[in-house]
Amino acid sequence: MALSCLTRALRSLSLSPPVGLSSQAVVQTKLRAQISPNNPLSLPSATFISNVQQCRGFLTTASLDQNRRYWKQREKYTIRPIGMRKTGGRDYTGKIQTHGIGGGHKQRYRWIDFQRLNYEPGKEGQPFDEKVVEVRYDPCRSADIALIAGGNRKRWIIATENMQSGDILKTSAVIGRMAVSANEGDAYPLGALPVGSLVNNLEIYPGKGAEYIRAAGTSGVLLRKVNGTAIVQLPSKRQVQVLDTCMVTVGRVSNVDHNKQIIGKAGRNRWLGIRPSSGLWQRKGGWAGRKIRPLPPMKSYVNLPSIAAT
Amino acid sequence: MIMETTQRLKSAAPLLSQITLLNDCGQISTHAGRNSSQARRHFNVSAALTAKVRPRPKPRAIVEIPGLERVTYGERMHYVPGLSKPVNPDWERGFKDPNRYKSPPVHEMPLHKEKPCYIFNQRTNALEGVRQALWLTKTKLTSGLPPQLLALAQNPTYQIPDQDERVQNAIKHARFWDTTEGRPKKEKYCYTLLNNLLHMCGSLQSSHPALSKRILAEKFTLAASWKRGEDLFQVRGKNGLLLNSMTPLPNFAGKQEVADTADHVLETFYPVSPAIDLQKVHVYKEDNYTGFRSDYPYPNAHTLFFLEAGDVSCKLYPDQLRAKMIMFSFGSALARAHTLYGTQLRVLDHPITVQAVGNNGRVFQFVVFQLNTTDLHEDSGIKNQVWVDEDVLLYDFAKVQPLIKKKQVVVPAGLSGYNPETFSKFLALYLNGAV
Repeated sequence: MALSCLTRALRSLSLSPPVGLSSQAVVQTKLRAQISPNNPLSLPSATFISNVQQCRGFLTTASLDQNRRYWKQREKYTIRPIGMRKTGGRDYTGKIQTHGIGGGHKQRYRWIDFQRLNYEPGKEGQPFDEKVVEVRYDPCRSADIALIAGGNRKRWIIATENMQSGDILKTSAVIGRMAVSANEGDAYPLGALPVGSLVNNLEIYPGKGAEYIRAAGTSGVLLRKVNGTAIVQLPSKRQVQVLDTCMVTVGRVSNVDHNKQIIGKAGRNRWLGIRPSSGLWQRKGGWAGRKIRPLPPMKSYVNLPSIAAT
Repeated sequence: MIMETTQRLKSAAPLLSQITLLNDCGQISTHAGRNSSQARRHFNVSAALTAKVRPRPKPRAIVEIPGLERVTYGERMHYVPGLSKPVNPDWERGFKDPNRYKSPPVHEMPLHKEKPCYIFNQRTNALEGVRQALWLTKTKLTSGLPPQLLALAQNPTYQIPDQDERVQNAIKHARFWDTTEGRPKKEKYCYTLLNNLLHMCGSLQSSHPALSKRILAEKFTLAASWKRGEDLFQVRGKNGLLLNSMTPLPNFAGKQEVADTADHVLETFYPVSPAIDLQKVHVYKEDNYTGFRSDYPYPNAHTLFFLEAGDVSCKLYPDQLRAKMIMFSFGSALARAHTLYGTQLRVLDHPITVQAVGNNGRVFQFVVFQLNTTDLHEDSGIKNQVWVDEDVLLYDFAKVQPLIKKKQVVVPAGLSGYNPETFSKFLALYLNGAV
């Protein structure tokens, strides 16, 4: 259909008179052609139009519908790496929304299961063990990822600092009266861990999946446990109050020396998909420079019943 | 109006110069004024096609309330805001058209069962490899080939004249000569090498007439099912080569050895379950099928040949290839046992032996499987036995170009590091049963 539109449009552009045109019309076109002889590409004159079909214009850009992120459409979880489509910092209209993104080595996305407490169908409710099969580099994030196998399934998780293949990791949702002596890599709810332990992959709402403390080498600290909630200090020193049933893994995230890496040359940045910034000198405003200010107040993700309600 | 048309023309036809555009614009507009009855060509891109395409909002979810009928605008034959869209019944073809058959959903299929079955197929990449295969088939592992086969391999009477030279020629043919391009691909040289070796082994038919009572089959179908604990397992697949024979293979382990296997404890690998990586299905048939009909003149499976030819869909490490070999030799032995003695669980008086050879063109794996029992329900009792000879190199390097490091030839071009014992073992496995 697109091809027929194109051919119809292009047919309307022909310079020679179409078959069946009267001689009067032909004479008129010849006169017109003499008037404007120097035009390299002149529009055919209006007299042709009477014998030419109505032609709707044809679109000269690619379909804008392609600017959607269609590549991640799978519903079923898989450990197979999925081919990714890069956006180049462009949004669905095609314009740049974020500068400095584009190019870089091709990457395949490995679907990480951030919900550590993902029970196997049929075995809900019981704490389970999983074995680390391999720890490998992930092009999509700064941390390393680990393939763990337990029961009948395998999944990818963010690896912690000293994780090696062959380790056994425990995941449990039980909050006992005594705090658990957790090994690195195990996942427990915040209420079960001792105060002061280093944690990562923090869930803000129970069951939603880890959204905080996932970058290489980061770790949060469990500061206090207050009747049903726990307060964690994030790597930015911000304190956050969440329910103590939120799952969290113990230890620091892998690839600890990531911030000490020296890029070395502009090319390496381009391999990572970072485009150069604009070279135009711009006067820096109030956003630039060192700021010394008190920590923002503690953010609470818990809907505690307020005292005023009683 | 003129400015608008100019803008549209500018965007659509950048080749035209400014003056030309204005000239032609003037011509078109004046002519349009004069000949208004004539149609005007729109050499422009219509606005409707360049508008911002917002993300499509999700359609409202239609709530079905049982007992309440929806009032639709179907009867009124036109859209009425406020009434719901009429839902038409699904059209059904009145007759059966085999070209346009739509299969029913999984839970409505006739063979659907509640209990799942775990199937080991030819593309399965077992995570735990040989340990998983041993647990699934309730087998005891012995590394190294049985002594009878080793003695047969070293026996000089059962060797082909000019054996080493002919094998080296076969390798060179497969790895160097069998192509018009630089070097043959792995998918090709694996098959060529195996065919050459089998051809050479078959040339002994003149001196050993019992070898003629065999036949090769390619891409044989196998189906075997058994119960292990609470779960059902099956082996199904279309595989490489199968050598069938009229007479069954002799057993390697005597009665005493078989009885001793009852003391062996199977290795478990907590927390990984033994059914990992197996295909879980709810639609299955508990079948036992050797791949051939009951009146086939060569009913006994002698040797299975597996090729790890670098197939993109299933790349197997040597450990996983050995697991696949164990599973399929077990499957063919079990299918034969079920055909001979029925599906009742029992300890076999005459164990069934099946051999398997796997290779990736250079490294060979030999597996000899002896099925002692079909009672695989529990972990205790008499176990089956398997002898595995791992990672036997036929040759070290077969290089088209020599490997040169620091101007020194590390590995010369051509075939290097040929190991004659590997072919003797291959020949011993082939001759076993006919000698």
